[in-house]
Formats: sequence, C-alpha cells, structure tokens
Amino acid sequence: MHQGSGCPPEFVPITFRELIRELIAAAGRRAARPVGRPAAVPAEAPAPLEPLRRVVLTDEVSRTLFGEYAAHRQSDRGGEEIGWDLMGTRQGDTATVLATLPAGEGRDASEGHVQFNRAAQEFAWRILRQGTRQLRMLGVAHTHPGSLRHPSSGDYRGDVRWVANLKGQEGVFGIGTADAAPGPQPEIAWQPAPNVQALGDLCLSWYVLGARDKNYRPVPVELTIGPDLAARLRPVWTELEAHAERLDRLARQLTGLKFEVTAGHQKSALALTVPLPDAGRAVRVELEGKAVRYRLLTPDGGPLAADLREDRVDVGVFLMLSELAAR
Amino acid sequence: MDFRPLTETERKHLITALRGNAQDGLAVLMDRQTTSFLGTAEEVPDEEVINAIRSVPCHY
Repeated sequence: MHQGSGCPPEFVPITFRELIRELIAAAGRRAARPVGRPAAVPAEAPAPLEPLRRVVLTDEVSRTLFGEYAAHRQSDRGGEEIGWDLMGTRQGDTATVLATLPAGEGRDASEGHVQFNRAAQEFAWRILRQGTRQLRMLGVAHTHPGSLRHPSSGDYRGDVRWVANLKGQEGVFGIGTADAAPGPQPEIAWQPAPNVQALGDLCLSWYVLGARDKNYRPVPVELTIGPDLAARLRPVWTELEAHAERLDRLARQLTGLKFEVTAGHQKSALALTVPLPDAGRAVRVELEGKAVRYRLLTPDGGPLAADLREDRVDVGVFLMLSELAAR
Repeated sequence: MDFRPLTETERKHLITALRGNAQDGLAVLMDRQTTSFLGTAEEVPDEEVINAIRSVPCHY
C-alpha cells in the first residue's frame, strides 16, 4: 500500500498464491516475538492430490475380501460373480481402503456379471457416516469365474464413465480369481507381483483407471494394520437389506436418528433410536431376523415394549410418534 | 491482541489449508478456546458418495 507515501497508488495484478504469501508475511511482521501459550501443532494437512500410484488395504479389509470370497465359493451361489464396494480415503497418490460393502443377497448376478444391491449399500454407508465423515467411494472389487485377472472390456465401458464421479476422477479396481499358484507358505498370503495378492488358490489383482485412460493400470498394493469399518454391519446385513429403503427414507425424514448393531434375542440386531423432544425419551426399534420390535425408552421407567405389530419400519415409527404426540 | 511469527511448518500447513479451502471447499479447523489454526478436515459431501454408490456399473 502507498498510504502516506505521496506516491500515486499502483494497481498490479497479484496471484492468489502471492496474496496468501503477503498476508502471512504481514502477520509475521506485526509480531516481534512469540507470545501467549504455544500454538497447538497443526493437524497434518492433506497431501495434494496426484494420480494414483498405490493402494493400501488394511489387514481387516484384506481378510474380509479373501474370507468372503472363499465363503461365497462354498455357497449355493458360488458359481456366480461376487463383489464389494471399496470405501476409504484418497490422499496424495494413495488410496487407502478402510471399509468394504458387500454386493448383498439382493444382488443380480450370474457367472458372467454382478450388479450390487445399491439400496443396501447406500444405507450401510449412512450408518458408517455416523462415525466418520471422511469415507468416500474408492472403487470396486469383483470376481471372475475363470482366469481373467484383468477387468474385462465390458467392465471398462462402465468403469471409465463411472470414475468421473470419484475423487481425482480415478478409481481402484480389484479382480478376484481362483487360479493362484501355491505360495512359499500355504498358510499366509503372498504377492506374486506388486499388484497381486494370493492366498491359497484365491488371487486379487489390483488396477486403477482414470476417466481418460484407454486401459486399466496395474497398481502396487500394500497392507497396513487397520479395520474394515463395515465389518460390524455384517451380522445384520440381512436385516439391513430387508429394510434398507424404508430405513434410508426415515434417515432423510427425521433428524438425530442413530443406528447401531446390538445384541438381539437370538443373534445381533440392527437398532434404530429416534430421540423425542422430551428429555431422555426415545423410540427404539430393533430389527432381528423377521422380527420388528418397538420400544419406548424412558429415563426413569426403563424401556417399555409397544404393542405394535408393523413390519414396515418407517410406518411403525410414525405410528409410534403419532401415538405419543396424542398423549 | 498479540501476534507471533508462524513457524515454517505452520506456514506450510496454513497455505495448504487456505488453498484447499479456496479450491476444494475443505473446512479450515479452529481451536474453540484460542481460535488458533488446527489444520483441515476433509468431510466428504453426502452427494458425492451417494451418487457413486447409486451409479456403480454392472461388472462382467
């Protein structure tokens, strides 16, 4: 600035970067010495986004993929393709997979294709989102019945358009096959190539694809210790699939809803809690198998069982709210 | 109000955070008690994930 200098003001172009540099320099000039309490160490700033060069899987994610692939092959539908959405974080040149969402029993699949149960996956993500708001879609893993360890041309046609929805316009793609050669030690996994994991006869080959790529690129895969954040949902995935659309609608209509996996009568249950305006009271619904149980939680009298038989969980919740509002 | 010079590390973090805020809409975090800079938090927009899940193509 030229205030008081007697010189006419000059107007010169300044870039955003220069503006920031000048602002910081100005703040620094105003202080002769450090004062007050020491500044907290800033949280690690995210690395600038670069083209994907590596994929990191947590150990639990890897166990999920290999374990569920093996279980699927032993199931009645073992001849079909199977797959998972891959959720996690994307920083720098790295995608870190922190959660897997299964294709679900409601998938449309055959020996030649698999289409996931999207409604269940969308609702599952809403549950995961209660704990972290930093999960994003990273890509998809799916299996091939033969020995094609590379995404097919049909995969490419869909994926190359789809990755435009993803951060950095790149996606991670895993291909599962059951054609691996025996490793040095049969009990543990090994990597025949930087982009290939093998355990027993099962094999996962990893690729990335950008929106402008002509083909998938093999990407090195690494392991780190960490969770599969969606693993806790597996015991209630049947209930989640059965009620996904109605629960998702409720989650969008009401605020403050909380979903959790809890102990049921025979197995785990998917529970939904709707807080009421009066302090300490809430409507709670427990979904276990085909059972839908409605409860009124009170701060003093404990949970009260509601005499309500309604399988449509959203209808049941609104019936409960209506009944309570009339009292 | 007192000021002190930023350390080189703090300066880099702040520049990265401001750039992320300007270019990608990332939140710039602030200490509730001292209002000092705490870094950034990347909250993924709901629409981004929902659109991605809903549009996962069929795989072959």
